[in-house]
Formats: sequence, C-alpha cells, structure tokens
Amino acid sequence: MAEGTMTGDTRTDTESAPAAGADAIARGLASYVRSVYEPTLLTRLRREGWKTFVDTPMPTRKAEEWRYTDLSTLEPESYVPVTCEGERLPVERLPEPVREAMESDRDRAGVMVRHNGCLEHLRLDSALEAKGVVYAPLEEVADHRPDLLERFLFRSDVAPMEQKLWGLHAALLSGGYFLYVPAGVDVEHPVHAFRYLDQEGSVVSTHSLIVAEAGARVTCIDEYVSPDLERESLSLNGVEIFGADGATVSYLAVQQYGRGVKHFSMQHSNTGRDSTLNGFNVTLGADLARADVTSHLEGEGARSEMLALWFGDRNQHFDHHTLQHHEAPSAHSDLLYKGALTARSSSVFRGLIRVAEGAQLTDAYQTNRNLLLSPNASAVTLPNLEIGADDVRCSHGASVGQVDETMLFYLMSRGLTRKKAERLLVFGFFEEVLERIPGEGVRSRIRSSIETKIQAR
Amino acid sequence: MAEHLLEIRNLHARVEGEVTDILRGVDLAIRHGEMHALMGPNGSGKSTLAKAIAGHPGYEVTSGEVLLDGENVLEMEPDERSRAGLFLAFQYPAEIPGVSISNFLRTAMSARLAEGEEMDIFAFQKRLMEKLEMLKVDPSFAARYVNDGFSGGEKKRNEILQLAMLEPRMAVMDETDSGLDIDALRIVSEGVNTIRETHDSMGVLLITHYKRILNYLRPDYVHVMLKGQIAHSGGPELADRLEEMGYDWLHEPEAETAAV
Ligand SMILES: Nc1ncnc2c1ncn2[C@@H]1O[C@H](COP(=O)(O)OP(=O)(O)O)[C@@H](O)[C@H]1O
Ligand SMILES: [Mg+2]
Repeated sequence: MAEGTMTGDTRTDTESAPAAGADAIARGLASYVRSVYEPTLLTRLRREGWKTFVDTPMPTRKAEEWRYTDLSTLEPESYVPVTCEGERLPVERLPEPVREAMESDRDRAGVMVRHNGCLEHLRLDSALEAKGVVYAPLEEVADHRPDLLERFLFRSDVAPMEQKLWGLHAALLSGGYFLYVPAGVDVEHPVHAFRYLDQEGSVVSTHSLIVAEAGARVTCIDEYVSPDLERESLSLNGVEIFGADGATVSYLAVQQYGRGVKHFSMQHSNTGRDSTLNGFNVTLGADLARADVTSHLEGEGARSEMLALWFGDRNQHFDHHTLQHHEAPSAHSDLLYKGALTARSSSVFRGLIRVAEGAQLTDAYQTNRNLLLSPNASAVTLPNLEIGADDVRCSHGASVGQVDETMLFYLMSRGLTRKKAERLLVFGFFEEVLERIPGEGVRSRIRSSIETKIQAR
Repeated sequence: MAEHLLEIRNLHARVEGEVTDILRGVDLAIRHGEMHALMGPNGSGKSTLAKAIAGHPGYEVTSGEVLLDGENVLEMEPDERSRAGLFLAFQYPAEIPGVSISNFLRTAMSARLAEGEEMDIFAFQKRLMEKLEMLKVDPSFAARYVNDGFSGGEKKRNEILQLAMLEPRMAVMDETDSGLDIDALRIVSEGVNTIRETHDSMGVLLITHYKRILNYLRPDYVHVMLKGQIAHSGGPELADRLEEMGYDWLHEPEAETAAV
C-alpha cells in the first residue's frame, strides 16, 4: 500500500464520519480474522488495510472523484462478512448460472469458482502447472510462497480518493486468487474465474492478482454473478495486474449481479517496458457499480488498451472512473468506453490522461460515448487531460446522444419496426467493443444479457 | 388488384417545419410491371418525392395522396410501407457502423414473417450468396458494416443488393447510377433487369438526371420534374431529346395559386 498518499483524519465535514460504525465492523473483522486460519502475510495486509480504512475519511460528494456517487450512505458495518465453512460443492451442485457459464466456454487454461467468497472449484491445465504457472487462492500462495506474493499483493499505487475503499477491501478480503505466469510462457486459452454471490446482506471482498513475467502472455476473465437479493449485499473487488517487460495480459471483468448489490471495483494495471495490457470492463448488473480503473504505464513503450461497455436499466447507477497514467516515455494508451442507458438509469464517466514530466512521445487517446434510450436516463461525461511533457499526442472525445434518426429511418425503411431497428442500433453501437472481447462463449453470453435488457424495455 | 401499382395524386410536401412546399402537386401513376424514369435538374424535387413516398420523418406531406395498389400509404409508418412492398434505394444511404449487411438483411427479411418467426439461416445464406453473385460482389461484402466507409459505388450496390433480397412490389431508385463507374453501372443494371424478369409485376420508378443508365434499363415512360411538378411526360424517346437539348426547352407549368 502506498502509505505516503493517505489522507489522514483531516475532515471538516460531519458527513464523512471516518469511523462510523467502526467499532461494529472492527468486532466483525476481529471475529473474521479469528475464525479462519490465515498466513501471517494476509493477516498483516488485512490489518494495514483496516488501519487505512479507519484513518481515511469517507469521501464526500465535495470530492471531484465522488461527485456523482454518494458514499455517505454506504454503511460497511451493515453487511455481514462472508465466512467459509463446510465442504466444497461438487461441480454439479454449483449454482445454475455458474454451471451454465462454465459449460459455454470449453477451451480454458484454468477455472476457479467462488461462492460467497469461498472456493468451490479450481482447475489449472497440468501442462501449464508443469511450466511453473500458478493459479491458486491467495491464502495458499501466502503459505507456500509469501516472498512471491509480497512482491505484488497490494503494491499498486492507489490514489488518495480510492484509499478508503481499498483499505476496506483489504481488511475484509474474502477470496482472491494469484495467477502467475513465468517468463516466456504463453497461456493460449483464458483463465476464467466465476464469483457467485447469493448471501443476503453480506459483504464479499475479492482480489485478482495477475503477474505476467517478461514475455509471458495470458488472458484472464473474472465474472460476477448473483440472483436478485432482498437484503443488500456489498461487493468489493481489487484487481492488480503486473506485466513485466514484453508481457501481454488481456483482462476482462464481466459484472452481472442482480438487484440488491453494490459493487466497487478498483483495478490497477502496471505495465512494464514494451508490455501490453488489453483491459475490458462489462457492467450490466447491480444497483450501483463503481469501477476505478487505473493504467500505470511504467515502462517505455508500454501499451494499454482500455475498453468498456455498460447497459443500464431500471434505476441502476454506473460510475466509471479511469486514469491513464503515462509515467514513462513512448507509451501508448487507448481508451474506449461505451454505455447505453434506458429507463431511469444513470452513468458517469470521468477519465483522466495524465502525462508525467518527461514522458515524451506519449500517445494517448480517450473516448467515451453514451447512448440514451429513454428520456429519463442520464449520462455525465468528464474527459480530462493533464499533460506534463511537450512532445506528446493526446486527444479525447466524449458524447451523450440519442439514437440517430437517419440511421433509424434507414432501418425502418427496410421493414424493421422501431423497436427492432433500435435493437440493431444498440448492438451496432456496442459492436466495436464487443468484437474485441476475448472468448467466444463469454462474448455470446454478454450479447444475450444485452438482448434480455433490450427486450425488457 | 388496383389498376395502378403506385398512384400519386396532387402531392404537396415540404421540409418538416418549413413554410413553402418543395413538391407542388405531383401526379404520377405506375402500373404493375412498368418502369418509369423520372428526370429533371438538380434541386427539382426528385429526392423529396422519393423520401415523401417512403415516409421520411424530415418531410411533411401537406396534401395529396399516395396509393400503393389502392392502399393509402401516407397513413403508414415507414416500416409498414416497406412491409407493404415499397422500397427506396437511397441517393445517400445511411452508414450504420457495427451492424453487418447480412445481420441487417436477415432482420429485415424476418420482419416480413409472422411475429416471432425468424428467417431460416440456410435459406437466407443461399439466397444472399446468389444475389451477391448476381451483383458480382465478393461474399465478404455481406460481413461488412452497412455502408460504413463504403465508396459511393459500394453504397449503391448495397442498395441494389437489398432490393434483390427484399423483392418489393414497387421500387423507387434514387440516382442509383451516380457514383458508379461504367462496369458497375452495367452490372447493377443487369441485376435490376434480372430482378424484373423473375419478378415481373414489380414496378420501378427510376430517378436520374443522366441518360447513361437508360442505355441499360429501358423505361416504358419518362417524366421530367421541374420545380416540384411533373412538367412533361413521354415515351423512352423523351430521354434522348433531353440528352440533346437539356431541360431549358421545357417551360415550367403554371405555379399552383397557393400552397395548402
Ligand atoms: N432536408 C432539406 N432541408 C432543406 N432543403 C431541402 C431539404 N431537402 C430538399 N431541400 C430543398 O428542396 C429542393 C429539392 O431538393 P431535392 O428533392 O433533393 O432535389 P433533387 O433530388 O431533384 O435534386 C432543393 O431546393 C433542396 O435544397
Ligand atoms: Mg436527388
């Protein structure tokens, strides 16, 4: 954790109550820590996280970063941390949506299933294991290779305004994996994790730690699924990706929670020299979903492609917050975030390209497009540049608009009803993101989820 | 079956929200199987007529009638007009990024089936391949996004591909010839002739301001539009006269006293 950036308890605002319910959650946390046998490394990180959480005031809407998503109503102590007791479920007893999802993607290098944070299923191609690939729960790696884990876990540079939830996430960690790909190893098929949540009123805190050593190549997918919940549950998620020199990592997060879930995802990719990251975020579910996606371009010639799509309906609120941080020269980043909104849903995009002093020959792009399908839906888009070098190419573009009338008429003039024409235009709008999503099975599942949302309009 | 496949009676139309009519009393009747050419200088109202017939929301019909086989199409939504058998090959077709031609066409053909029914994928593919071959277009064309980044000629071929796939009762072709080189013009014209042979009751209204395409497509009648009215009608020989003498020898018809 980047200690130096902590905000400390300097609040002036009563709303921010940093320790609101802290006693209750501290008791919960203490019992949580006692209830599981845990390697000391994880316990230490948990305690550090807890300290960060307590020492950091809850951001208010006065902070630019949290202007459109109100954290003051978030009461972490009102959720019960998940615990893992009993045996693993056999595959055939896994929740239906997870099995369905597992069956639709055949070629996988590895699969992991967690149910309310607890490991239910784990498989890694034995040929990859023989090559030194690790795909394992964090607690297991902390036991056997604490040295390796310590080099990476919670090592990302987290912005001050993200500290509060990042700390809480660490404190409540309830299931994470470590994917390690040694130098030069090419993992052909995706490594796929499913996280299923159906415990009412709970908090689950998952972590994905992905390390690709020099020249390694891997594709990694995280899927979040839940039924509709009656008592709200909280999902915290941290993602850390480290790509060493020349490594290529593709990472896809697909969030399809049901009603009654709040999801906060904090994703950090750290891209080394001539290393490539292809990051995707698909946001379809939950009542509130916030994603903080940071790409640290640390090495010269690093490349980062950041893509996202979302489709909001009912009163869903999606907030995407991105940072393309060009720390080294000659790096390239390209962001394309596209969202469609219907009913009374709303979305926020706030993106920043930050070019550090000396990061010459930076090539950075940022585009956010929003398609409003209902008069009651709303989108806010705030692209931004902060440039500290003079020889750079940066551009950003953003738009919020409705279905194009010319296109609509063209399709209708071929016999498509307005509804069918709009459906085709929504898919057309998403296609440039969809077509690049890795994995046939997951792509078609995303398509059919979008289809369901369109049909329900 | 009505006597006329398409009958336009005293049609007045303007740009939505404007105060003056662009079409100032158009009368035109086309029988089943006939091909009519509509010529006239730029700006005379030909595309406005085509779009008014198709139900473009940017144009308002202020008076008059358009009947398709006796049915009033002006009361129909654009998609209903299409399903009733009207087809407009656009002068400037829209670009639809992210939607492939084959997906679009399959959806359009399914829209003609009963609710919930889908066009059989194999029958569709077979038909699509036939039509692509007829228009001498590479099969990969169908995987491209509708008109996205197309050249003018590719857009026109795509319009005719849709015409061939949908086989409407009445086709309006707006300047399909412009943007086509001579080879493409021949291929597209032959395509239209083939469609007419197999589907001989189809009516065609061919809008053009060049005689070039009439070397390949032989209309039964030629009309000239000037300032929003049909100023002159005749047989195919009228096209030759226009080629020689231009439009100046045609005097404008009396202007209507007032736009309604
Ligand atoms: N959408 C529009 N907005 C403003 N003027 C229009 C529009 N459409 C047509 N017009 C005007 O109406 C007249 C006829 O145009 P058009 O029908 O396109 O002619 P043609 O197809 O014969 O060249 C022209 O003067 C043109 O400028
Ligand atoms: Mg025209």
